[in-house]
Amino acid sequence: MVRIKNRYIAVQIVPYAPVKSLRLNDHTLTKCLLQNIEKYYGVYGLGVLEHGFRVKYCNERTKIAIIRCLHRGQRYVSSILPLITLIGDVRAKFRTLYTGATIIQCNKFIIKHQRQFLDRMMGQVASAKERQDLFKRVMELDMDR
Amino acid sequence: MIGYHYFDVQLKFRDFDTVELTPIYFRGCVLNSLESFFGEIGGKTSLDIIKFSVEQRRVVFRVPEEFFKRTHTAITLIGHYQKVPCHFRILKTSKTPLDFQKDIGENDNCEEAQIDDCQL
Repeated sequence: MVRIKNRYIAVQIVPYAPVKSLRLNDHTLTKCLLQNIEKYYGVYGLGVLEHGFRVKYCNERTKIAIIRCLHRGQRYVSSILPLITLIGDVRAKFRTLYTGATIIQCNKFIIKHQRQFLDRMMGQVASAKERQDLFKRVMELDMDR
Repeated sequence: MIGYHYFDVQLKFRDFDTVELTPIYFRGCVLNSLESFFGEIGGKTSLDIIKFSVEQRRVVFRVPEEFFKRTHTAITLIGHYQKVPCHFRILKTSKTPLDFQKDIGENDNCEEAQIDDCQL
């Protein structure tokens, strides 16, 4: 019995200009990634990768996505992510956060990452008023760096 | 030092009169095929033509060792040369320099055109 090994890549989408919503969904992200794979690794790379490739999660408010691919195609995806500058019709780049073997590990990492980010931001603000503002913005998911 | 792999290729065309066979066009054709199948990262390599004969329709060229399998695949998959249906047949591949005159089987380092289906 052979198990199919997957890899889950958690990425953050960093837009060039601050925007509230990226107008992104799974399909546009998949299309963008596969187009770039064809550009950089050709028909062969696309053939290797297409089987088992899927954008499992895409949150346009927190700007985080999880990409699933087969274990053997992991290098193809992770190597083209820094080369992408245009996602859909938005000028943005990818920041690879984590590569894991299960989606639960990815989820755990994202939660930890967001928590750390929040702690850091909370530590930086001085006054109670600003802190409240930040808290409000976090609750509305309006975070732009 | 980079190791090279040498190819001896026979070119077959459906309509030879309409094609313009030059080393540069041939090189472009192979590199185009490599790029379309293996993309910008996987398909860029240096390709040196060593011998070229229009009468015999044979070419001897070399590629770096790590591109041997990819080039082999790309040449096999070429179906058109200047929009004319064609077929490039690999007669011989070798790690040592090849020549038109040498007969098959003369050189021990030569291997018959065979490619296995392991990862490219």
